[in-house]
Amino acid sequence: MAALLEVTGLTTKVSGFTILNGLDLSVDEHELRVLLGPNGAGKTTLIAMITGQFKPVSGTIRFAGQDITGWAPDAIFQTGISRKFQVPNMYETLSVFDNVMVSLRGRRRVFATLFQLLRAPERDRIWDILEFVGLADKANDPADTLSHGERQWLELSMLIASDPKLLLLDEPTTGMTESDKHRTAELIQEIAKSHTVLLVEHDMHIVRQIGKRITVLHQGQRLAEGPLAEVMSNDLVRQVYLGKGKFQ
Amino acid sequence: MVRDKAGKPAGKPRRSIRRAPLFPFWAVIGGAALVASIGAYPYYSTNIYVLTLLGKFLCYAIFALSIDLIWGFTGILSLGQAVYFGLGAYMVALSLKLNYALTHPTRFGNKIPDFMEWNSLTQVPGFMTPLYSTPLAIAAALVVPTLLALLFGAITFKRHIYGVYCAVITLAESLILQNFIIEYQAYTGGFNGITDYSNYVGPSVLWFILGVTVLFVIVARVLTHSRVGTVLKSIRDNDLRAEFMGYNVANYRIFVFCVSAFMAAAAGGMYAAWVGIISFLNVGPIFSIEGVIWTAVGGRGTLIGPVIGTFLVKGAEAFLSDRLADWWQIIVGALFILVVLVMRDGIVGTVMEWVQQRRRGSYRQILADADRTAHDLQMDWRTEGAPRPGEEVR
Repeated sequence: MAALLEVTGLTTKVSGFTILNGLDLSVDEHELRVLLGPNGAGKTTLIAMITGQFKPVSGTIRFAGQDITGWAPDAIFQTGISRKFQVPNMYETLSVFDNVMVSLRGRRRVFATLFQLLRAPERDRIWDILEFVGLADKANDPADTLSHGERQWLELSMLIASDPKLLLLDEPTTGMTESDKHRTAELIQEIAKSHTVLLVEHDMHIVRQIGKRITVLHQGQRLAEGPLAEVMSNDLVRQVYLGKGKFQ
Repeated sequence: MVRDKAGKPAGKPRRSIRRAPLFPFWAVIGGAALVASIGAYPYYSTNIYVLTLLGKFLCYAIFALSIDLIWGFTGILSLGQAVYFGLGAYMVALSLKLNYALTHPTRFGNKIPDFMEWNSLTQVPGFMTPLYSTPLAIAAALVVPTLLALLFGAITFKRHIYGVYCAVITLAESLILQNFIIEYQAYTGGFNGITDYSNYVGPSVLWFILGVTVLFVIVARVLTHSRVGTVLKSIRDNDLRAEFMGYNVANYRIFVFCVSAFMAAAAGGMYAAWVGIISFLNVGPIFSIEGVIWTAVGGRGTLIGPVIGTFLVKGAEAFLSDRLADWWQIIVGALFILVVLVMRDGIVGTVMEWVQQRRRGSYRQILADADRTAHDLQMDWRTEGAPRPGEEVR
């Protein structure tokens, strides 16, 4: 099977510091890949590069057979990549329902949205998504009245609404309580049944719960890659991580 | 209003969307009453001073509405909106002046505007001749500012300039045009502006201006209530999220900037025809900032707020400034600071917030909700030892 996302030799610098250093990564279709790495390994930077927030110094990013290196963020979205930010990012004053509505995949040009009405299938889809993540009760509330965990779920539902081929989830469980984390992991597993997911996650419980194939980043390079058990028994990985006490 | 939150039936929650109607009942009734009382004024009073003020205020109100559209709904603070108002006004004023000069020759018998003669022009410059035609002049008054907004908007927003930088750039644009008009006085009247032409004051013209105002309020309401309006609000709330959701944020900003410039230009054109004098002050930054103040006082993001704010501030100015002439500018400035500090949402916004809170439930309920959210946040963030909410982390 051809790789959906293929990153080759990606190098980037942010104010003089080399964040990514010749990184190679390839994600297959319908894969749920977990990206691990200590702070500063370049996980979020990688996501920012794939979605076009930063331009690489060298290297290429290919997605679904297209070279998307250096494209604008909105053009990259159109190819089917949606990104979840680490800190929940949504539209605070809009209602939960409207947040999902503006995220629906569809035409994005100004004059196309000018006379667009909300059709019944779209409305049903929004409700389905909200029921799926468990926010249907709060559909009419402004997004800024949600609690932190609910905000994370709202952003997840916006991503589902945008119907991407690839979801980039940057630590979607940050700042959640244990039960919320568990629920989020279930949601991600459910999403991964029909989408390709690249998940950045620190929490080893979550990684154990859902991780199949894992890539470990360290100082902007790929340190190890493979199934969970193999990666966890890798000496290099243990060296990088053990000091932080993440593995019991 | 009873919420079915606690006693939710066992099945799925109700799939009902609570959304304000396109034209709320109270707004239609209130708007009709306002329109009727303004429009009826010339029929029960002969006070020409107040009549003139009403027409002027309506033009100002459209100007404030155009600011609300970009500032309140898209988050673009422009301190150069007067550029478009002023350009529209100058086009109409020039056209009226040129035609006036045909029937009212200068002292030396030339049929050109007096300010051209003072600057030793002997004939009307070629590029101005289309303005002799009224339809062409009206078209120019509407199209030229809109195209200029397209150009300025493209320059600003395509280069990802928003927020304070956008305010500074638009301010500079306003200053440049103001200096341009002062400098090229042979064509613009310079410091004196353009005056002494036949203006149009009367009940029918007032109704025309009133009609345009109502039309623009309706257009703005439909625009902000539609899907594109929701996208504009989402850009205001979080432009980064919108961009990564595939919206070309710059194009949306340029679009609404042009719509807003068109409205401001129309207001300027009507203003010039109604008042009969136009000067460099009407393209300058001071006038732009005044518009921002009216919008803020009335309530940005409410559409009707800017109209009310304009009438309140300008009305107070008209009836108080003869007594408080020296103090008036200071009072307006203080009013702005007060609004920013105490009533962030302006008069209309504050009232609407209050009504909504009454509907949603008691204050105690809201405070409890807020407490719970804050509590959630703190607990979660502290146990993780992670940065505070809102902090961008690499």
